[in-house]
Amino acid sequence: MARATTPEQDLLERGVLARLSGVDAGYKTATVLFGIEFEARAGEVALITGPAAAGKTTFTHLLRLALEPRSGRCVILGHDIARATARTRANLKKRIGYVAENPTFIENWTAFDNIAMPLRLAGLKPRDYIDDVRELVEFVGLTDAADLTIEKLSGAERHRAAIARALASKPALILADDPTAGMSPADGRRIVRLLAEMRRVGAGVVVASQDESLADCAPLSHWRMERGRLSLVKQTASEETEAYE
Amino acid sequence: MINAFAGVERALFWTLVFAAFAAVAAGLAARGVDRVAADYEAARSNYAIVRVVAPEGASGIAAAELALSQAQQVVSAAPMTAGRAAALLGGEVRAEDLPEIRLIEVELAPAAPYVDTAGDLVAALAQGGVTAEVIEAPNEGAGAGLAGRVRNAAFWGSIAFALIMAIIVSLAARGLAARRREMVTVMCDLGATRSQAAGRVADEAAVMGLYAGLIGGVLAGVAGLIVLLLVIPGISFDALQRMILPVDLVPIAAAPLVAAIAAGAGARAAAGYFHAQAARLG
Repeated sequence: MARATTPEQDLLERGVLARLSGVDAGYKTATVLFGIEFEARAGEVALITGPAAAGKTTFTHLLRLALEPRSGRCVILGHDIARATARTRANLKKRIGYVAENPTFIENWTAFDNIAMPLRLAGLKPRDYIDDVRELVEFVGLTDAADLTIEKLSGAERHRAAIARALASKPALILADDPTAGMSPADGRRIVRLLAEMRRVGAGVVVASQDESLADCAPLSHWRMERGRLSLVKQTASEETEAYE
Repeated sequence: MINAFAGVERALFWTLVFAAFAAVAAGLAARGVDRVAADYEAARSNYAIVRVVAPEGASGIAAAELALSQAQQVVSAAPMTAGRAAALLGGEVRAEDLPEIRLIEVELAPAAPYVDTAGDLVAALAQGGVTAEVIEAPNEGAGAGLAGRVRNAAFWGSIAFALIMAIIVSLAARGLAARRREMVTVMCDLGATRSQAAGRVADEAAVMGLYAGLIGGVLAGVAGLIVLLLVIPGISFDALQRMILPVDLVPIAAAPLVAAIAAGAGARAAAGYFHAQAARLG
């Protein structure tokens, strides 16, 4: 007998990884986001730009399930977040790759061990993941630094390690909060292109950044966050996407 | 990978060792006090001194000795010599300076609690035609006497001290959880549940507590042995073996287990709190 699916699961089956409708969110007494309307789809890249303190980081916290919406509806990976249990949230987090503005690592572990951590958490043995992690390390350009402890890496290398870790468990949704901060423009564009590549394997990618120029480095939907309000600036047409390919 | 014996972890480990050492030492000391009090209690309950009032002279002492030897609870009775009396007085008086001694030392069979030993001895002497008074005898209900109270105080005192040390171990283990906060945050971000993240830190703390308890316990045991050798010079190995009962080893055996549980529980609680903080920013 077929299992009855919920409307949220239907959304996921239709490729909608995250849908926020009329969402307000914030910290303690301060409301930071107002009436957010947003949708992230599998195989697409969304770029959220805006000035500092506009609410971009809070928005990524909302998408990575670290914040609960105060009002409105937040459906992420087929689950209504307001009704999700702690275990459901934990399971959903395993399917979300998150690159923080200042990534947190276990500083006295090597870059390789840190990158492999999501796979260890998933219960895999080193022999099952060692090749995949090596490939990831190569993909983000960290081959020479993989065996160094994280505390010895430069800021850009730490970001690359964070990206590799976020991609390790092959997440459905990838979130990056200002991943180009502190990098040269060339390095920044390379990082965003790297993240945008993940759309090819069917992941949805959401990148928050202050740098408006990143809108040109991949086919994407460009959103603008100002004073906690989000608006769609531009959606790359399908023929433009083909031009990027 | 994390080296559990470097930096803060090393300091924490030795804090746990010290707490375990102190708790086990208190436990062993309590056992020592218990043994001394038990011996004192046994000696007190087996001994009495009778002063013969009448008849006067050697005939009175002889009659009293005979009457006591026929009394049911008396194992042996012997008149106190001048030399023995001088020794009991701590050598402050010479034996030849003492007046006639009309005391009889009595060794008693173990009596049931709440038996009026002094009354029974006076009655037995009266039957033999001797008027006498008992000037030292077991208290009524000797179990409820000073020795009993000392034994109880030692036992409950050591338990209370061990509990305090367990609380210290538990609080110290929270320090380990604080050291692992970044790991808990990372695990939370990667989708680890609270029990997964806290469990990992708790396991590490419990292992540390286990080893610290083991080392602290063994060190306290060695210290106890040294104290015994100092207190009883020339004691043989066989005598030591006979002296140390299995129950004396309970504090040493319990230390690793209790330290592991206390450290694990403290670290789990703290790591769980850090996980909750990382999971919900709002």
